[in-house]
Amino acid sequence: MSPNDICTDITNKLNTGILIIDNQYNIVFWNRYLEIHANRKTDDVVGYNIFQVFPELPQKWLKRKVESVFQLKSQSFCSWEQRHHLFELQHTRPISTNSHFMAQNCTFLPLERKDGSDNVCILIEDVTDVCHYQTMLNKTLEELAQANRIDGLTQIFNRKHWEECLEKEFSRARRYQHGLALIMFDLDHFKLLNDTYGHLGGDLVLIETAKVISSLLRLGDLFGRYGGEEFAIILPNTDIVGALDVAERIRIAISKNIINFQESEIKVTASVGVAVISKEDKRHEDLISNADLALYDAKASGRNMVCVAKQLVEVIKTE
Amino acid sequence: MSELNLNEDQQDCLQEIINVAMGQASDQLARYLDTFVYLKVPSIEQVSTLSLIETLGSNENSASVVSQGFFGYEGIRGEALLVYKPKDSDRLADLLGYEPDELSVEEQIIDLSSILTTTFLNVFAKQIDNQMSYSAPRLLAGSQSAVSDHLAQQSFNWDLALKVKITYQVTDYSFNCDMILFIPESAINNIKAVINRILEEF
Repeated sequence: MSPNDICTDITNKLNTGILIIDNQYNIVFWNRYLEIHANRKTDDVVGYNIFQVFPELPQKWLKRKVESVFQLKSQSFCSWEQRHHLFELQHTRPISTNSHFMAQNCTFLPLERKDGSDNVCILIEDVTDVCHYQTMLNKTLEELAQANRIDGLTQIFNRKHWEECLEKEFSRARRYQHGLALIMFDLDHFKLLNDTYGHLGGDLVLIETAKVISSLLRLGDLFGRYGGEEFAIILPNTDIVGALDVAERIRIAISKNIINFQESEIKVTASVGVAVISKEDKRHEDLISNADLALYDAKASGRNMVCVAKQLVEVIKTE
Repeated sequence: MSELNLNEDQQDCLQEIINVAMGQASDQLARYLDTFVYLKVPSIEQVSTLSLIETLGSNENSASVVSQGFFGYEGIRGEALLVYKPKDSDRLADLLGYEPDELSVEEQIIDLSSILTTTFLNVFAKQIDNQMSYSAPRLLAGSQSAVSDHLAQQSFNWDLALKVKITYQVTDYSFNCDMILFIPESAINNIKAVINRILEEF
């Protein structure tokens, strides 16, 4: 076999598509791999314009891409991660993946022909397999990250993620001197409720309460389950007046929310504590502890009410 | 370790080859992008694994990093990292001659990286009678994940690398990025051999 025959043989046995075009975008050559995966006759392809043969190609984009190869005489690439495919080709896993067309990694190579004319060679690799597993991996990673942030029962932020959010919002508020408010609330006599209706009833109350409160909040507010029956809300860019308004609406919404459980209607109330960031707060934990103290005041003063952190009472009076 | 260091002549020679390549690359890029592209005089230095993490990781502003491997004859090989600042990515589509809705920001960054890397290294290779091939460029870190996160997960199997840093400036688009070429320890002696040959020919 002459070296030329070897090349032809390999070209036709290669599991990579080879397509060569001239500077008028006419197809000069394609190999057997493409003939088979495009399922078209070479006579209907070679000699014809690439955009006529493959009308699915993004013409403007591809022309600019190929132009860079002609002009800079350097190779260029296109990955499935940015474009799933350029050519609509069949692939080898039609049964076990849900990919309609072959996912492709394409390489554009400059070719100088012996007659001095410029060609561009497009190599097309089937990466349907890679694409399939990478997509599954990305989805799993996203689900894991999500599960890591969410409280399984109530589907709102869990304590860990919520506190990370507060830490960020706290330093942002301090840096830019923005307002930042914190609301913490606790369902009243929750233990009694659990004893009366069982844990399934208690769980339903937590789920339904989280739902009602979520619907009351603005887009930037961060709502989390702080512990058992205690919830917490971060209100960025909010002053004490705004925070009190939200807190009161939360208290009313919970007290009016009737939860149907088996044959009974469960009613529940909440005690609410409110704090806003002040110059004295050095760490986000200071804000939590202020809101928490206010929450205890609300409990001690008879429950189903909103209390404000002590150092803020004066501020409200003057306003 | 010290025998890997380039001596003064070798350093000057490499600097000169790079300067010439930069001039030609800048010319080709200007024609293709239809705007002036300035390449700032590079720094050439030996770096250790540790200082790589410091150089790339400490820079909070570097939002995106694209890596592209290159390899040629005589054992000349390495990895090119293109480092972009987030504010500089706004007008890339415009610069590249694409419509912004034709391609994602990530694809724009990858595309430009490939153009800058291959254009420079092709002319560089020609200077040393070589020819480069390239791997597909890959986005290592986008706006979502910091470069430092990416690097922290690596356990490097090299201690030393030759680092060549070139800054690209496209003033009409107020755009800047750094191209950092790393020649790994195993290839430093190969590039020294090439430099020595060039020095002998003079």
